[in-house]
Amino acid sequence: MLFREILDRFEREHPGIKVKDETLPASTDEQHQFYVINLEGKSADFDLLSMDVIWVPEFARAGWLRDLSHLLPEDERKGFFPGPMDAVTYQEKIYAIPWYVDAGLLYYRKDLLKKYGFIPPETWQELVRIARHVSEREAGVYGFIWQGKQYEGLICNVLEYFWGNGGNILKDGRSVINSPENAEALTFMRALITEYRVTPPLVTTAIEEPTRHIFGNGRAVFMRNWPYAWNIFEREGSPVRGKVGVSPLPAFPGKDSASTLGGWQLGINRYSKHTEAAEKLIKFLTSPEVQKKLALTIGYKPSRRSLYQDAELIREQPFIANLHDVFMRAKPRPVSPYYMMISQVIQPEFSAAISGIKTPEEALDSAHRQIGFILEVEK
Amino acid sequence: MTERDRGNRYVIPALVLLSFVTIYPVFYVFYLSLQRRLLIFDISRFAGFGNYLFLLSDERFWNALKNTAYFTSLSVSLELLLGLLIALLLNRPFRFRGGIRAVVLIPWAIPTVVSAKMWEWIYNTDFGVLNYLIGSKINWLGSPFWAMNAAVFMDVWKTTPFVAILLMAGLQVIPQDLYQAARVDGAGSWFVFRRITLPLLRPVILVVLIFRTLDAFRVFDAVYVLTGGGPANTTETLSIYAYKVLFQTLQFGYGSTLSVVVFLCTGAISVFYIKLLSRGMRQRDRNVPPIDRGDIPVPPAREIQVKQ
Amino acid sequence: MKRAFFYLLLISLVLWCSGPLLWQLITSLKPDAELTRIPPLLPENPTSIHYSAIFAEHPFLRIILNSAVVASATTALSLLIGSFAAFGLAKLRIRYKAMILGFVLSVSMFPPIATVSPLYMIIRTLGLRDTWWALIMTYTTFSLPLSIWILTNFFREISDEIYSAAKVDGCTPFQAFYKIILPLSAPGFFTTAILVFIFSWNEFLFALTFTSTPASRTIPVGIALFPGLHEVPWGDIAAASIVVTIPLVLLVFVFQRRIIEGLTAGAVKG
Repeated sequence: MLFREILDRFEREHPGIKVKDETLPASTDEQHQFYVINLEGKSADFDLLSMDVIWVPEFARAGWLRDLSHLLPEDERKGFFPGPMDAVTYQEKIYAIPWYVDAGLLYYRKDLLKKYGFIPPETWQELVRIARHVSEREAGVYGFIWQGKQYEGLICNVLEYFWGNGGNILKDGRSVINSPENAEALTFMRALITEYRVTPPLVTTAIEEPTRHIFGNGRAVFMRNWPYAWNIFEREGSPVRGKVGVSPLPAFPGKDSASTLGGWQLGINRYSKHTEAAEKLIKFLTSPEVQKKLALTIGYKPSRRSLYQDAELIREQPFIANLHDVFMRAKPRPVSPYYMMISQVIQPEFSAAISGIKTPEEALDSAHRQIGFILEVEK
Repeated sequence: MTERDRGNRYVIPALVLLSFVTIYPVFYVFYLSLQRRLLIFDISRFAGFGNYLFLLSDERFWNALKNTAYFTSLSVSLELLLGLLIALLLNRPFRFRGGIRAVVLIPWAIPTVVSAKMWEWIYNTDFGVLNYLIGSKINWLGSPFWAMNAAVFMDVWKTTPFVAILLMAGLQVIPQDLYQAARVDGAGSWFVFRRITLPLLRPVILVVLIFRTLDAFRVFDAVYVLTGGGPANTTETLSIYAYKVLFQTLQFGYGSTLSVVVFLCTGAISVFYIKLLSRGMRQRDRNVPPIDRGDIPVPPAREIQVKQ
Repeated sequence: MKRAFFYLLLISLVLWCSGPLLWQLITSLKPDAELTRIPPLLPENPTSIHYSAIFAEHPFLRIILNSAVVASATTALSLLIGSFAAFGLAKLRIRYKAMILGFVLSVSMFPPIATVSPLYMIIRTLGLRDTWWALIMTYTTFSLPLSIWILTNFFREISDEIYSAAKVDGCTPFQAFYKIILPLSAPGFFTTAILVFIFSWNEFLFALTFTSTPASRTIPVGIALFPGLHEVPWGDIAAASIVVTIPLVLLVFVFQRRIIEGLTAGAVKG
């Protein structure tokens, strides 16, 4: 309903243009399927589309998106976070405008940390130490929970350890996934469950909501999740209300912390028959005023950096002040049209490694080989 | 046997509708399966049987086939057994039978996507009601061993009603006189079941087996929502693999090839069932004393010329 | 002793079938904060907020209507077309019966995800996107194999003598069909009706692809729209599953008493 009001405002400001909006199911798979079926059929049924950050290079390469470089001059691009800007740029052209941002965060129980005299960890090893110490003394409380089910979110989690150790998946268009840094990182993740025992085995089947529920019931010291959980924890009746703190994710000693970028971008369908009106709408929806409105009403986190210093927004949602730094460090998954294929191949490998079905080295070697094939697929 | 009337006009509406809606998609899928079609890279060229050759050496395909076979054989056998037990249990009239028959339908009546999500929560290690009730901490969906069996159990819960109500209907049309006659002859329950009930149920069982197997072999939503094919592809069925290839990696050629293979497998299975059960039926007819079906009431005062 | 065992089995059956739904009911009455706290099993502060939410935040009533219309029309059409075909295949002279039955069955052998894309093209070309007819046509088609196979089977069971007797009596094949064969195969007919109705009530993939607005959206797609960015309103979904399942079961119960038992009572006693 709120979104409809924003669209009505656009219609008033641009008489002659009518906007019809259609909501797709929340599941990112179902949305992707919808777009693929329609765009493959060159459908002109919709003009604007809201895309997950990982689809932009794929859709751009397939020729389904209109080039929007002219809508964002150089200086305006700096107004957005660097991660999302990277994600929407393909072969030096811009194919979508970042609409709202999402990135991995570390949630922690500030009351428990205070009780045992700890400060939020900066390295993974510190996190393990704190988690162990506290969970051993608090009954029924897990140390650290995260998302380890075989799905896209697993890659988001794993990358945060890879990057936090200086590793990566692709570099200059070649696979570097089987590096020693990555093996070390993946071994560490498995060790969280088996050796350090701060993470329960149930993470191998957990996605966002189950972990959010566990932490929200007060049953964990640390959790890695997206910013959406914060509002839920601060609701009336929440057992952890007022007890939750957030910080950027830890890293390995001597390395920089990074979090995986999520979020949604607006693009224009290349087959659209109303490109002028669509461009007006896209500028409107990604303007600072509308992004601020969406942040205040629906809770979408703006992609424009300036809003994180906006007095009103900070007053209404104090949490947002913490997020600027995290979003500055948010990195996209490999911005490549091959990414969706790579994702399908590495999800089971990562899942095998953290479930103990394969050793991390085996999993990464297998992933490396398969990514090699994928990168040759155009031949 | 009286001269049979021509029945063509009765099947034509069905054939027309089926052809209209399915001919184009089916040919399209077959056509695509012979193509190398990668949407993202705008690659579209004829590949002959290249995709099929690749499939033969595709480890992930064989893994999916193995998972699908396991899922199908276990689910269908359990469902058939349980469905038969339920149908037999509810066959004789008793108080509340109508209500219980309706209750039996509940699992089948819940939308599949809701049911799968519900089971995902029931199976949750931490706050799932299953672990709570049996007092364990088993990682149902995250352990390679338990995940597939958890999926099977969920499917059995969900689709046994399908089997049960079909078998109930099958039991209902067996003439009661047959049972009475057998009882008069002093036959015990097991004999009655084996020699009367089961043979007369055979045709319905055939229908149940075929359709359940077809559905189980093609299972997608339920398992996808429950496990996503994980952990490490240990619950990835053929349809899940085909879905990922088609809609995640946008390889429309190879995805169609996988679909055609599913089609061929289910076709082979159906043929197998039909051959197995019709042979069985002919065998039985030779061993069992002929059952006089003519006892079903017939409009009075007619003489019927029956030509054998 | 045997009676006690029988009742024990009955109770286990009822618990097994309705247990998870009862759990859904309990969940639907728990406020958000209590959703995943276990123990206790029962809600400490039961609330009806989820039930009001599903109707307030979504046009759920319209969605239920869509499902009801699509499912009823599909069932009626599938039974009509299917029973005609089954009658022909079971009782009349048709060449290539086995081939026809095989062709009919083969429609059910493809994974739906393979056919959804080309089918969508057909629907779009016909301008049927977001209409009831797109779904009715698709569902009728995909339920025909089951209808035809089940009904052919039940019609075959009815002895040829009765049919011949009716013909001798002066009935046309069609009259024989609906006066004699239908009532005698009422259980099969009714069972097919339930199965087809539930199939179209719960079908997800095609509904997702062919519908786009509440004008034609059906229940499974409606429920898929409940979640937000990451948050899954599990209480609302539990409430929706109750709202959507219980009437269906009641409907089946009522119809079963009236129709099936009425029909069989009339026919078999003769």
